[in-house]
Amino acid sequence: MKIGFDKLTAVLIFMVLASQAQAGAVDTLQQQYTAAGAGPFSAAAGEQRWKETHLDAKSGKQRSCQTCHTKDLTKSGKHARTGKVIDPMAPSANTERFTQVRDIKKWFKRNCKWVLGRECTAQEKGDFLEYLKGQ
Amino acid sequence: MTTTTQQTTETRPVLVWDLPTRSFHWLLVTTFAIAWLTHEDNRYLDVHTFAGYTFLGLLLFRLVWGVIGSHYARFQQFSYSFAEVIAYLKGLFGQDMRRYIGHNPAGAWAIFALIGFGLVLAVSGLFVLGGEERHGLLAGIVSFDQSVIFRETHEITAYALLGLAGFHLLGVISESLLHRENLVGAMFRGSKQADIESPAVRPHRLVAAAILSLFAAYVVATFGGYLTATQDKPYLPFKGPQLAKSQVWQDACGECHLAFHPSLLPARSWEMMLKQQDNHFGEDLFLEKGTIIELLAYAKAYSADHKQTEVAWRMNRSIPITKTPLRITKVDYWVKKHHEINDAVWKRDSIKSRTNCAACHQDAKQGTFEDAGMRIPGDNSFDAITWLRSILDKPSTQQQGVQR
Repeated sequence: MKIGFDKLTAVLIFMVLASQAQAGAVDTLQQQYTAAGAGPFSAAAGEQRWKETHLDAKSGKQRSCQTCHTKDLTKSGKHARTGKVIDPMAPSANTERFTQVRDIKKWFKRNCKWVLGRECTAQEKGDFLEYLKGQ
Repeated sequence: MTTTTQQTTETRPVLVWDLPTRSFHWLLVTTFAIAWLTHEDNRYLDVHTFAGYTFLGLLLFRLVWGVIGSHYARFQQFSYSFAEVIAYLKGLFGQDMRRYIGHNPAGAWAIFALIGFGLVLAVSGLFVLGGEERHGLLAGIVSFDQSVIFRETHEITAYALLGLAGFHLLGVISESLLHRENLVGAMFRGSKQADIESPAVRPHRLVAAAILSLFAAYVVATFGGYLTATQDKPYLPFKGPQLAKSQVWQDACGECHLAFHPSLLPARSWEMMLKQQDNHFGEDLFLEKGTIIELLAYAKAYSADHKQTEVAWRMNRSIPITKTPLRITKVDYWVKKHHEINDAVWKRDSIKSRTNCAACHQDAKQGTFEDAGMRIPGDNSFDAITWLRSILDKPSTQQQGVQR
């Protein structure tokens, strides 16, 4: 019984920490963006940007966030080039989303460049997070 | 050596080839054929080595049986001198055509040659398995580079044995025609027409039963794994070495594609790839400096230059020292190994990309790429295992069929 209780406590503590981390990572980043002069953030603006398509000059193909993440954020996506399965973007379907500041930063860098051909502005990143965190 | 007879004397059927000798003969033929048919396609290495081990076991048994076996199976009974072979062959074209109940002198020499070459073939095969594949009784005894000579020996003796088997068959056919007796049939039935003085042998059923049960047990032990395998837990006949893993590597590479094991490219390739991380096949990775250093250390420690596996050795060997390839799929060895796979196969939904190694190679994640560990998804070629399973899964319908 004692072991069971300890395990339960550990799981509970972990869950609390995990949920805090999620709120924490998004909040931390949005605060940083605000400090850089951006804000307030709008989910609607984030959604619009998310669905926008951009022509990639090199490949001649249209690209958008949905190219890999698909139209349903609660479903798995697929890497456009390698076919590797991408876990769902929506935190409701994937609790690990938006929990690590480092990961969010890295993916913004990589994927903004892939879709838009440039890095995203602080305003755009804040809007994206505002849109995605509610999914 | 005294068991010759003239065709005019009175004859009776006599058991000449005991059951162990006959079992040995036909199993040897079968395993040689199986090994021959499976030598080219790496996918069937497990079948090939199964045939090879059985072949070796049979020959070792024959060496023992040649000493303690029944009359006509003993080496002493058919150890003729070269002069006797010549005399026998000359006799075939003259009046003095002698009929031997056991092996004739020319046939006897063929048997000794077949056993000798067979042993060289099997033992050299063991060395190839141990050297190239790092498996079997002699695993790791010789280096990858040294194993090349054993592979050549193995190939040459295989052809020599095929040639010898051809001579043996030619002899059997001509002898059958000359004496108007079916020698192939005799190797099945065991009996021949012989005169009163020729001794008959006992069938030695127990020894034959032991050979056949051992063979059956070996079949089950080798291939039983295929029957219990599932889609998620495929059966891997060969397990490669445990290669060093790195969580950093797994995370950094594995988030966009299979985390290709560093043993697939030389260190200089990984170095250049990580140096060009802002243009990684057209994409900017934005990896942190600390991560790059960790990745590089891991890649260098386990790169193809270290020849940890057969695939590492072969990939490295096929890359000229002056070249620094970045794409695994552009390395000569890779191209050579995949040239038979056509575009339609690559485009299958289950494969999609040439970089999707794990679609076919069941141990791609581990980086070992064992020979018998690949199955092309969606191939509708005959699959013996699926077929066998479908029979085993439906015993009731099968039985009904038999009853009617």
